[in-house]
Amino acid sequence: MTARSTKFGVDEKERFMLFLIAPAGIVLVCFEIIPILIGMNASFREWSLVNPQRTWVGPKQYIAVFTDPVFLKMVLPNTFVLMILSVGVSLALGLALASLLNRPFFGRAIMRTIILLPLTIAPVITATMMRWSFNDQFGVITIFLSYLGLPDVAWLSDRWPSFALVIMTDIWIWTPWFTIILLAAMQGLPPEPFEAARIDAATPWCIFRRVTLPMLRPVIIVCVLIRAIDAFRTFDQVWILTGGGPARSTEVFSVYAYVLAFVDLDIGRAAAAAGIGALIMLFVGVGLYRLVNRSMEVSR
Amino acid sequence: MIALALHALRRAIFAISIAAIFVVFVGPIAILGVTSIRPASGVFYIWRGTNFTFNNFVEVLHQSQVVEAMWNSFVLSTSATILSLGITVGSGYMLSRFGGWIQRSWFATIYIFRTVPYISWVLPLYLVNTRLGIYDTYVGLLLPHIAVHVCFFSWLMKGFFDGINPSMEYAALIDGCTRWGAFYRVALPAAMPGIAALAILCWLSTWNEFLFALILSGKRTPLITSTMAQFVTETGTEWNLMSATAVLAMMPALLVTIFGQKYVIRGLRM
Amino acid sequence: MAEVTLQDVVKKYGTFKVVHEVNLNIAAGEFVVLVGPSGCGKSTTLRMIAGLENISAGTIRIGDKVVNDVPPKDRDIAMVFQNYALYQHMTVFDNLAFGLRNRKVPETEITSAVTRATQMLGLEPLLARKPFQLSGGQQQRVALGRCIVRRPQVFLFDEPLSNLDAKLRAQMRIEIKALRERVPTTSVYVTHDQVEAMTLGDRVVVMKDGWIQQIGTPLQIYNRPANRFVASFIGAPAMNFMKVELVEELGVMSAQAEDFKVELPLEQAAVLRKHGAKMVILGIRPEHIRFGIPSDNSGSSFSGVVTVTEQLGSEQVIALNVADSTMMASRISPETEVSPHASVQMWVDAKTLQFFDDKTEMAIR
Repeated sequence: MTARSTKFGVDEKERFMLFLIAPAGIVLVCFEIIPILIGMNASFREWSLVNPQRTWVGPKQYIAVFTDPVFLKMVLPNTFVLMILSVGVSLALGLALASLLNRPFFGRAIMRTIILLPLTIAPVITATMMRWSFNDQFGVITIFLSYLGLPDVAWLSDRWPSFALVIMTDIWIWTPWFTIILLAAMQGLPPEPFEAARIDAATPWCIFRRVTLPMLRPVIIVCVLIRAIDAFRTFDQVWILTGGGPARSTEVFSVYAYVLAFVDLDIGRAAAAAGIGALIMLFVGVGLYRLVNRSMEVSR
Repeated sequence: MIALALHALRRAIFAISIAAIFVVFVGPIAILGVTSIRPASGVFYIWRGTNFTFNNFVEVLHQSQVVEAMWNSFVLSTSATILSLGITVGSGYMLSRFGGWIQRSWFATIYIFRTVPYISWVLPLYLVNTRLGIYDTYVGLLLPHIAVHVCFFSWLMKGFFDGINPSMEYAALIDGCTRWGAFYRVALPAAMPGIAALAILCWLSTWNEFLFALILSGKRTPLITSTMAQFVTETGTEWNLMSATAVLAMMPALLVTIFGQKYVIRGLRM
Repeated sequence: MAEVTLQDVVKKYGTFKVVHEVNLNIAAGEFVVLVGPSGCGKSTTLRMIAGLENISAGTIRIGDKVVNDVPPKDRDIAMVFQNYALYQHMTVFDNLAFGLRNRKVPETEITSAVTRATQMLGLEPLLARKPFQLSGGQQQRVALGRCIVRRPQVFLFDEPLSNLDAKLRAQMRIEIKALRERVPTTSVYVTHDQVEAMTLGDRVVVMKDGWIQQIGTPLQIYNRPANRFVASFIGAPAMNFMKVELVEELGVMSAQAEDFKVELPLEQAAVLRKHGAKMVILGIRPEHIRFGIPSDNSGSSFSGVVTVTEQLGSEQVIALNVADSTMMASRISPETEVSPHASVQMWVDAKTLQFFDDKTEMAIR
């Protein structure tokens, strides 16, 4: 409250502000920022768990990662394909489901409960049950699909079916998230524009495109931002469903770094991969944030 | 007549799509559930035969690792929830109520570190934990599980406080409270519904967390997700036991979904 | 009770000044209303007195004490907010007792103080309720009660009635007035509503763009506005303005526009002659434009065309087109029959006219 400043140039109000963020700040520094710095240090060294010499080798590890065909041909495309498809399809399905549930019908409460399940169940469990349901020999869904006359697919033996299963699992998990948020947003919209559109004899599709979507825009943008950032670090589903296989063909960024560190036991290389991921996300994150800010202003 | 037929057709399509959604989301869970109560011999082609049993659960619960892992996960989730919320509530309040360079730089920090993929700092954290001798201990698991929530929860908490009119706190300042008093005794109780919702989500997300468990826990302090993953990737064939474990691990999620639905939805909407 | 003194008080956000050198002396027990359009700095001024905003320059005294750096809790003030600001998680009783408990007042004294206040405001049946179970009027009454239990040096009101509907607002206005008699305390009241300003204030401070425009009793403000802004802001319908030329013929000064001429009394002519300008702005309150022709020689008449009539039952407001393009509002008897587009004869008593400088818009006195 006072205008007086102490010798540190921080007044009473600013001291209170610092006091409020201090616990969070300390935890963030000790358990996130310092590890990141240690990781950066490690990424410039020859450092393997079995033979920890830790010699300084400069950017060698980064070069190694960038010239690794697995990283270039599998990991990078997989990561971004997963990110784009998972976010895009879950958003589209989420919108559709939210519109479907945004009207009274018998059993709506039950449907709302059911679509919460994928969000509350651990991705590890989800991946386990998908792996079992799509099991090549005994998976209920595999058998059901062939019963329908569809060609047999060895879901977990080839690259694209495996990766498709990973993406489908991710969509299964995240569609409800979009649905719940968009449904809440739809229910919070003012009724007047819809009434006006109905009086203007707009078709339901037209109302959805011209009234609902523009009004949901800010929510959609924030959701996409959050999901895109999180989709980049997807690990659980991939690790359980395919373990990155067959032949490392479904590895995504987190799996790649994990495998380097704990399977190949090459900490230096893993740290370099992790650092590259963090840098990519820094650019993607800042870019998305700019985009969000700009489009928020436009829609305002 | 045509209008009537169209109307019936529309209703039919609507009903079918609702049913399809139901099947898509319940199907895999039901398959898991049914498998968990089938004897080992009935696991394959689970829809055939009528012999059901709870022996899978009994057997799983006799494995000390599973029970231990569930207990560890419970302790970890509970303490991580209390501490995460405790340290982020002040941070969110600051972001919501104050301005200036401190607020702006903290907001930027939070945003930037939210984008960092977990693997990028959990990997080196493994080195830190082994060096400090806290690898595979409660402390070594707890602190990263708090750190992971700092950024996102600060953001969510800011949202809670943004929804509360600050004049209540002004009234408290005039009524004889310090800044801390206005926050602790007036703003915090008003934010409680939101914080309760967040607590449930935080508990679940810690219970469900896998990457940290995989990297930072071992034989001494097993967690439920890493134990499950071990079953899947290493033993990989006893689907009835695995399903029983999965169903047990799923219990908190089911309970919360059924009884705490309101809170989950409120927490997600923020 | 204490007096409140603001001396050269300034509020800046960065380099942007929102309150300019405010000087204001509020006597002990006086009820002062700060009024002005939104963004005029009235709320900021109040919040600076409360200590919720720090001041960029100047001095604020409560009693003999300079409170520039005193936190709000130590200023011995109480405040009523626009949105009531009741503690949502506490009962009405706890809301009222909160401030006293913070000051470590014994619980028995708290109970008696709360009881006194609740009797005064008729809140007894609501003591166990939570704020969300109360209506807007009840909530605002609790907010008032929260102030009076503390018996502070100063009451501060920040637009306390603007969230209420019109009927309740009128009722609460009377209650606040009655409360003043029972709990006389120095009060500063911020509002954008001129009716509240006129009816509640011992003195009214009119503000605009961070500057004080005029300080005075309600009647002074109404009858002798310091400038065109004050004249137009206070009074509804607003004062009519018209650019006129001052013409002297044979020692008689008159204010003229096209199809409009009013002869001015000697004293007024003297003041205007001293001022010197030829073109000035004429201000006429709507109630001073009368219908018909003056019974004696006390007024000047002019003609106008009725454009709109508004029948209010107790009075009738008509909009006139005078001197080609000037719109004027006039308050006339509800019984007078006028219809739109009719050409009517009106008159004014020259003694009621106000004059403002064309450029500075200050009243010519």
